[in-house]
Amino acid sequence: MRFEEELVELLPRLRRFARGLARDASDADDLCQAAIERALKSRDQWQQGTRLDSWMYRITRNLWIDERRAAGRRGVHSPIDDAVTQVAGDGAAEVEAGALRGDVGGAMARLPDEQREIVMLILVEGYAYREAAEILDVPIGTVTSRLARGRETLMFYLGEAA
Amino acid sequence: MSFDPEMVAAFVDGELDDLTARRIERAAETDAALAAEIVRHRALRAQLAEHYAPICDEPVPERLRSLLADGPKLDTSLADRRAARRSRFSTLHWGAIAASLVLGLTIGLRPWIPAGDVQTDNGALIAAGSLARALETQLASNQSAGAAVRIGVSFEDKAGRYCRSFESPGLDGIGCREGDHWRLERTLAGEGGSGDYRQASSGELAAAAAAMMRRDALDARGERAARDAGWMSRP
Repeated sequence: MRFEEELVELLPRLRRFARGLARDASDADDLCQAAIERALKSRDQWQQGTRLDSWMYRITRNLWIDERRAAGRRGVHSPIDDAVTQVAGDGAAEVEAGALRGDVGGAMARLPDEQREIVMLILVEGYAYREAAEILDVPIGTVTSRLARGRETLMFYLGEAA
Repeated sequence: MSFDPEMVAAFVDGELDDLTARRIERAAETDAALAAEIVRHRALRAQLAEHYAPICDEPVPERLRSLLADGPKLDTSLADRRAARRSRFSTLHWGAIAASLVLGLTIGLRPWIPAGDVQTDNGALIAAGSLARALETQLASNQSAGAAVRIGVSFEDKAGRYCRSFESPGLDGIGCREGDHWRLERTLAGEGGSGDYRQASSGELAAAAAAMMRRDALDARGERAARDAGWMSRP
C-alpha cells in the first residue's frame, strides 16, 4: 500500500489522539496537519516494515510538545494544568470532582501533559506499555508511574464506577 | 488484596504474562476488593473509549485529506504543468465547458469563499490573507505538498498584468496583479477535490488562463524573476 494511503487510513485515529492532546478540535486538526506535512517531508526517515502508526504518533506528539514549549516561552499559561497539584485532600477539589462526574474531557484537561499523552496512548489508543515508551522515548518505568498517577486523578474526578 | 495496584492496572491493560494474569483472575473470584478494583479500572477504560470513539467516526476534514490526495502535487515543473494543461485542455475541453455552463463562471461574491482570503474593493474581488501571500510569494516550481494554496501557471495577460492561477481548499481561480493587490478575475468553488467536478474545475481554469495569456506562460526562471521584481508589470 502506498505511504499516502496508509496515512489516510490512520487519519481518524490520529485525529483522536491529537484531540486528546490539544483538546480543542481545530487546534487538534492543525496539529494533525502539521504532522502530515512533517511526515511527507521526512518520509525517507520512516523505515519500511516498521509501524507507520507509531512513527506518526511520535511525530504528532513531538510537534505538540514543541508547540507547548513555545507557548510556555511566550508566557501562554494553562491554569488548568496547575489545578492537578491541588487534588489531594482539598475540599474545593472534592466539590469540583462532584461537578465533573461523567465529564471525561474536563477530567482529562486536569491531567498534566505528560500524563495525558500516556493515558491517550495506552487507555484510549490501546498501545502496550513498551510501545508507548518507544513512541514517547522514555523508559518503561516512567510510563507506568505516569499512567498510575493519571489514572488516579481521572478516577478521582470521574468517580468510582462509571 | 494481595496484588499491588500497579499490577492490577497492568492486568486490566493486558500487560501481564498469562500465568500471573490467571493468578489474578482466580484470586478475584474470592477477593471482593480485588474484583472491585478490576471493575473500577475497566470502567475507566470503557469511559475513556466511549468518550473518544466518536472522533474516529467523524469525517476527516478535507484540508487533511487533500494533503494525501492522489495526483501530482509536489514540485511539478512548469513544463509538466503546461503539458498537463495542454492535455487536459484537449481531453477535458468539452467536459469543462459543459461543467462551466452548469456552474456559471462569473465574478462576484460566493458563499463558499473563505472569508479571510478574499475582500471586495469597489465590487472587485481582491485576494487577502493566505491567498494573497501565496500569490505574492509562492513559486509553482517550489511549493510544498502541504501548501494550502497551490499555484498553477503564471503568465502575462493581454493587458500586461501578471496573472496566476491557483487552487485552494475553498476557492480556485486566477488572480491578476493590479497596483499592490491581486484582483481575482476568475473564481470557482474549490474544495471539491474529487472526480469530474475537480477535473472540470482544473480544465476550466487552464482554458481560462490560456485564453488570457499574451504569450506563453512563465517558466520557472521567469516566474522567480517576476516574483523577485514584485510582479511589476512591464510596459
